[in-house]
Amino acid sequence: MINLNVNHKVYQVDADPNMPLLWVIRDLIGLTGTKYGCGVAQCGACVVHLNGEAVRSCVTKVSRAEGQQVTTIEGLSAQNNHPLQVAWNEENVPQCGYCHSGQIMSAAVLLREKADPTDQDIDDAMAGNLCRCGTYLRIRKAIHLAAELQKKEGGSV
Amino acid sequence: MKSFVVMGIILCMIGLMAFAMHREQRSAAGLTTPIVVKKDSIASVKAFTAVYKVLMSPRCMNCHPSGDIPLQGDDSHLHTMFPKRGKDGKGILAMKCANCHQPENSPGLHTPPGNPNWHLPPADMKMVFEGKTPRQLAKQLIDPEQNGHKDLKKLIAHADDGLVLAGWNMGEGRTLPPVSHAAFKKAWITWLTTGAYAPKK
Amino acid sequence: MSVSEEAERLSRRNFLRMAGIGGTALCLGLYTSGQAGVKVINQALVNAASEGVELAAWIIINTSGKVTLICHRAEMGQGVYHSIAQIIAEELEVDLYGVDIQLTQGDEKKYGSQLTGGSSTIRGSYKNLLKLSATAREVLIMAAAARWGVAADACYAESGHVIHKASGKKFHYGELVADAVKLAPPKEVKLKPRSAYQIIGKGNHRRDTPMKTNGEAIFGIDKRLPGLQFAAVKRNPRLRGKVKSFDASAALQVPGVTKVFKVVMGVWDTDREGVAVVANSTWAAIEGKKALRVEWDDTGFEHISTAEIYSRHRELLQSSEGLPLKTQGDPTGIISQSDHKLDVIYETPYQSHSCMEPVNCIAHFQGDKVEIWGPVQAPNWIQDYVSKKMGLARENVIVNMTFLGGGFGRKAMPDYPYEAVLVSKEIGAPVQVVWTREDDATQGPFRPGVSYRCEGAVEDGGITALKFRMAGQNNDHWRGGDNGKPNRSTSEGFLKPYYDTIKNISFADLPFKTPIPTSFWRSVYASTNGFAYESFMDELAHKAVRDPLDLRRQYLKDERSQLLIDKMEEVSGWKSRKKNDGYGVAITECFASTVGHIVKVSKGKTGGIHIDKVWVVVDCGWYVNPDIITAQVEGSVVMAIGAATIHEITFKDGMVEQRNFYDYKMPRIMDIPPIEVHIMENDEDAGGMGEPGLPAFAPALTNAIFDLTGKRIRKLPFDMGNAGMEK
Repeated sequence: MINLNVNHKVYQVDADPNMPLLWVIRDLIGLTGTKYGCGVAQCGACVVHLNGEAVRSCVTKVSRAEGQQVTTIEGLSAQNNHPLQVAWNEENVPQCGYCHSGQIMSAAVLLREKADPTDQDIDDAMAGNLCRCGTYLRIRKAIHLAAELQKKEGGSV
Repeated sequence: MKSFVVMGIILCMIGLMAFAMHREQRSAAGLTTPIVVKKDSIASVKAFTAVYKVLMSPRCMNCHPSGDIPLQGDDSHLHTMFPKRGKDGKGILAMKCANCHQPENSPGLHTPPGNPNWHLPPADMKMVFEGKTPRQLAKQLIDPEQNGHKDLKKLIAHADDGLVLAGWNMGEGRTLPPVSHAAFKKAWITWLTTGAYAPKK
Repeated sequence: MSVSEEAERLSRRNFLRMAGIGGTALCLGLYTSGQAGVKVINQALVNAASEGVELAAWIIINTSGKVTLICHRAEMGQGVYHSIAQIIAEELEVDLYGVDIQLTQGDEKKYGSQLTGGSSTIRGSYKNLLKLSATAREVLIMAAAARWGVAADACYAESGHVIHKASGKKFHYGELVADAVKLAPPKEVKLKPRSAYQIIGKGNHRRDTPMKTNGEAIFGIDKRLPGLQFAAVKRNPRLRGKVKSFDASAALQVPGVTKVFKVVMGVWDTDREGVAVVANSTWAAIEGKKALRVEWDDTGFEHISTAEIYSRHRELLQSSEGLPLKTQGDPTGIISQSDHKLDVIYETPYQSHSCMEPVNCIAHFQGDKVEIWGPVQAPNWIQDYVSKKMGLARENVIVNMTFLGGGFGRKAMPDYPYEAVLVSKEIGAPVQVVWTREDDATQGPFRPGVSYRCEGAVEDGGITALKFRMAGQNNDHWRGGDNGKPNRSTSEGFLKPYYDTIKNISFADLPFKTPIPTSFWRSVYASTNGFAYESFMDELAHKAVRDPLDLRRQYLKDERSQLLIDKMEEVSGWKSRKKNDGYGVAITECFASTVGHIVKVSKGKTGGIHIDKVWVVVDCGWYVNPDIITAQVEGSVVMAIGAATIHEITFKDGMVEQRNFYDYKMPRIMDIPPIEVHIMENDEDAGGMGEPGLPAFAPALTNAIFDLTGKRIRKLPFDMGNAGMEK
């Protein structure tokens, strides 16, 4: 049994320690917001926060997450009101939406570390997240908007 | 990104050797043995030829890029998705090395190789290999200002650094450095203990 | 209620449904004819997904007034989940943000064809949906008027209520719906003029966004059922053929793996064999598949390579006139006598759809019926195919549509649902078959790579003849299409007004076959035709010493084209561009919309070519949501950048060489230029918008590179890092 803390909830999972965190989250815990896209850390659809860092859960063994804090898209905010979630809605960012759990989780680390990101910062942070629908221009716009919203709230993400 | 990090660190140590030459050092076996430097420019340059081949191989050079983006693959192309070095060499923002590079190699082809200490040289000590001639690289390796403030002792010890060793364990499908780690280590120490001479070019 | 009253009531309800069906069926406008037939109403198929009274096929209202609208098409990013509701809400007079929206099941008797392809949803459904919604509103008004004992025209509807003008009394729709379904709907309803729209025409917030920002949206791969098993399938890497033998022992050693057996996947009229690994998690199934050893038998199938494909295309193009599709005048004669002619070949690559959500499907086989859940574009095709293959009654193939993590044509195929059905049948339990990214990249079907021979003649600064020949796989062949007929899509993308002004034009197809499965890929043949035909227009303009946009203006004489060109000139500053700038233009037609691109390029700081800006002008006639249209164009440009400059599928020894995003690379955020989208305002009929934004990008880009460097690019993909370097 492996103890996992996901979105501040403790789960005991009966998993092979080598099983990627992605599949533990999706198939064993049942949180399906985190997506499978490539399985080899190329696309970013599976990004979750492990102790606040934007790790790719498809290549992260569940054993690495044991006893650590895992946050998935479902746990990013209580009411879908993280500045990024608000901005994503405001800018109509998603098309099919499949990659956006990962996009938002990556962007959340960016906004935490750079409250007022430049376009270059956005490229640097988001270049690991693929979007086949091509929503990149809106992702950029929404991150800038989220930074504004975050400033207005006066709080950190 | 591949194994280059390891090498960078190793090289840095060389600069200090000059000082250390006649001092006693603790060997890997824990015995106190003196590091004897016996100057021999011909043997030294010859040893460095092997060292250079290893350091310029993708497994080492890929993490000692001339820019701030690591290289990738046996053809040393710019790392897909352009991760940046960052101040500490561990990446930035949502693109930190350890987000993909695990404590160990991920199984399978084309998966991220891993190491618990995976990183590039830090921003204030970039230890660039890419594009360096043998002479430039040799001089850089023994310059404490460019090698991470390493003295001879540290340089020698660096041959067994975890990231250096990782160069020979980069996961499925990646070409190994041109010689074994043992042969590299031997050449490295030979080069250092024969005076760390830089080739003419 | 008597039997006859019940029958009467049902027939009235059916009237509303039929109203919907007739319209949809008329406007199908897809690649296939005959798929759209709607013959009888089958009451057993009434959607029971939502509680309440079904006022019409798309509209369910419960007694407390909650309104549920149905999205009958696949939502794969193109926005129909929102825009269908936007249309209905306008004429039904309900709050777009107060209604529930539900995805549904395959039921073409109720909704008409649900094949979500050919950019057909809005253009095929809008008239019908407007009428249906207005009719539903009118019967609610009639029900309220009857209750109050007043005339219907003394009442109006607003925000889910019927209000009596004089007294201000109101009922919410829930209070009226039981009465309303008993009323005979009016034969004619008055539709709002466009100027009165409150909801249509607005780029309002998509209803599906919030659930796509917090993990709530259920894509096919997210669907869970009690007792669900997971499976991965190792399929013949040569794209065709059989399993000779397999050794399951290592796979069965993987913890969680329960069963390993041979399975067949039908690709239209052909079968491909594989070996399925069933397990208790997706990961265990994938690990089991890795451990599985299979010996393949692909005798009888050619092990083709990419180089062979394109050299055969060239041979065909040089040696054969092909099967004529369209001919006017005598282009061959004119060209042969001309002193100012061009004869060039363009090549376009095979491409993968590479939806971010890899192909997957759940099936639960239960003897005389099977239920399917998945990301599917064509539920009715799945019903057709699975019922035929399994010998089941068509209505016993129940197909539940989830959100799709991208479709682009790939998910219109019934191959993967059928495979899941076979796996479920074998294990006697519901199963989700998940394709790995590597399966997705290597198994196809793919957009066919197509080569073109373009010949033309110019005289006195004008075009006298055009002759186009195409060599490439015909998607129809996979569905039993006639080899003796030319590909109907040979001229797809080519602007129809040219036929009126260029006297001599011909299109011919050179049938070409390989064992590689091919299928629709966003904008289908327009995606490759457009590159050839619009690059060639640019070559002819250069040959005729003409401004390439002026040349198009000369031959696109219809008013819509003229206005489109005006707009393109205006927004891009075409006429004031400087001599050393690199500007390129291309205009294509696709699925009843015309889209013009202007691309500006410059030399990159570190060599190669940099895209400075893309202007896109769209004429899609009547439209619902300008922001979704803009998003579709932005996405089309990104997809076109990938297909023109980054990735291609290649073959070696009969197998695909690419595996995953490391060797089928995608555009990333830093690769995307500014894209400015303009929509023409007019009262024309609606055109499609999910795909038409794509085809003109590549030729506009390569035409711009020619303008900047003098280097003509005739083969895609090309490397932007080296483009224009060599002459």
